Amino acid sequence: MAEKSVSEPRILAFCCRYCAYAAADLAGAMRLRYAPSIRIVEVPCSGRVEVGEMLHAFERGVDGLMVAG
Amino acid sequence: MIVGEQKPLEEIMGLLGDARKVLIVGCGTCVTVCFAGGEKEVGILASALRMKSKLEGHSMEVDEVTVQRQCEWEYIDPLQPQLKEYDVVLSLACGIGVQAMNERFPDALTLPGLNTTSLSLPVEQGVWEERCQACGDCILGLTFGICPIARCSKQLLNGPCGGSQNGVCEVDPDIPCAWQLIWERAVAFGQVERLLEIQPPKNWSVSRDGGPRKIVREDLRLTHVE
Repeated sequence: MAEKSVSEPRILAFCCRYCAYAAADLAGAMRLRYAPSIRIVEVPCSGRVEVGEMLHAFERGVDGLMVAG
Repeated sequence: MIVGEQKPLEEIMGLLGDARKVLIVGCGTCVTVCFAGGEKEVGILASALRMKSKLEGHSMEVDEVTVQRQCEWEYIDPLQPQLKEYDVVLSLACGIGVQAMNERFPDALTLPGLNTTSLSLPVEQGVWEERCQACGDCILGLTFGICPIARCSKQLLNGPCGGSQNGVCEVDPDIPCAWQLIWERAVAFGQVERLLEIQPPKNWSVSRDGGPRKIVREDLRLTHVE
């Protein structure tokens, strides 16, 4: 686990290609702003996300994780 | 299938003690299909151990491998060259797999990460119910295919007992009375008279009471020509 940043928590978002990722895309097209410390991973379906992958993300130092779909 | 449950993380941490480098060995057969010790569970436990040990201030290096069957020599033999790199091996197989590892690789200490619980049937997704106790003298032919050794709390051969109420066992209302089930099957087949025959005491010498069991099939053994 990496050192945590107090000011900017790193958030990883697993987003379903067909809904949540499309929404994030739309947010970009609409020039809506969200924190740059949020990283989005597109997945074919939110059901594709495994517990092991979430734990790996925490091991690699993310502060929070979102599965959106 | 053989069914197991993962031990609590605290207990596993206690077993591992001060080990710095750990290899978790999963099994690709029974414990994979009961979601206790397959490749996924190995990965999850490895992550958990790495994070927990780091939080507790002694980083543990944890590697992962899953073999197809941990209870057969030919599947575990390929592990041998890498075992010397580890302080300890943690097996997520059933008790047979753990012992196979210790017997085959006496220089590497293999510890159990699971509690092996039963020979069970997955009656629905996420639910396993005990169906066999491997008693060594199957009586399913006398009991219409329902085992009172595994499913009757008293292992009665001539049931039901007075604790059978409304089809459930007095031990726990979630346990169906095995003898009620047997009776209903006998009624359905029109053969209740078969249950009137009193069964004599069971031969437990072929179960655990006779000590560890062993089968030798001479027709299957490899013959060594001098």
